[in-house]
Amino acid sequence: MAESHPPNRPAIHDSDTELIQAINSGREDLFPELVRRYEQRLYTFGRRMCGNPADAEDLVQETFLNVLRYLKDFRYETKFKNWLYRVAASTCLKQRRKSKFAPERQESLETLEPEAAAVAADSVPKWVQMPLEKLLNEELAQTLQHAIHSLPEAYRLVVVLRDMEGFSTEEAARILTISDANVKVRLHRARLFLREKLKGYFDHGL
Amino acid sequence: MACDASSHPHCLELFEKLSEYIDDELAPAERREIEAHVAGCVACLACLQTLRRTVALCRTGADHPVPEEFSRRLRSALAAPPRGPA
Repeated sequence: MAESHPPNRPAIHDSDTELIQAINSGREDLFPELVRRYEQRLYTFGRRMCGNPADAEDLVQETFLNVLRYLKDFRYETKFKNWLYRVAASTCLKQRRKSKFAPERQESLETLEPEAAAVAADSVPKWVQMPLEKLLNEELAQTLQHAIHSLPEAYRLVVVLRDMEGFSTEEAARILTISDANVKVRLHRARLFLREKLKGYFDHGL
Repeated sequence: MACDASSHPHCLELFEKLSEYIDDELAPAERREIEAHVAGCVACLACLQTLRRTVALCRTGADHPVPEEFSRRLRSALAAPPRGPA
């Protein structure tokens, strides 16, 4: 989990730096404070990535255990939060192979080739014109969550990091150790996939 | 006017850039090109608006509260981490 960034990158000082320096200087008793700061965010990330609460809990626990193991390798070359998500994303990909809840087959994104997704419409649909707050309900949230879980992990990670966790393209690329261009391509494909699922939902409901 | 991105190469080319447009990651000239195009192409306008609404819906997701029982188990596990390789 050591960072692999260009040499001579200036050290980043953020709200976690002093706490991490203290833990790495021998104050392991402060580790629960790090857990307190990120437990909620990581659990939500886990629920967004995993199809069930048990896998999300495993992801959070395994991520914090990995942080405990590798925190001494943290070089302050990125925000701690971004490094934490890199550990979490890596843990997530390894864990999924072991999960008894993981579906044997995920949907292919081949149908998301632009030619297939760019079906002509002769008007802007109603669900786009309505106020956002009028659309939101539990059924829609579940439809969206189910659609996200149907994405292959590589695409799901990108859309969760970019559109749900709020990371920039550059940050997501560093977390996933892929290029910015790759993040953009995967994000566009993932959004098209989700859009098709939402269209299906709204075509039947509105 | 309606056009079909599956048969119009220019629509298809712009369609590929719609996410970057939504994310404000395009150069000004590319932004202007898309804006000029969707002003006269209902199909591409619908593509843009449905994609933009999809992103907006993703961003409305709320936190999942951490179960208290799990929180307790997590702290116990971290207080006595397993030994040996990961």
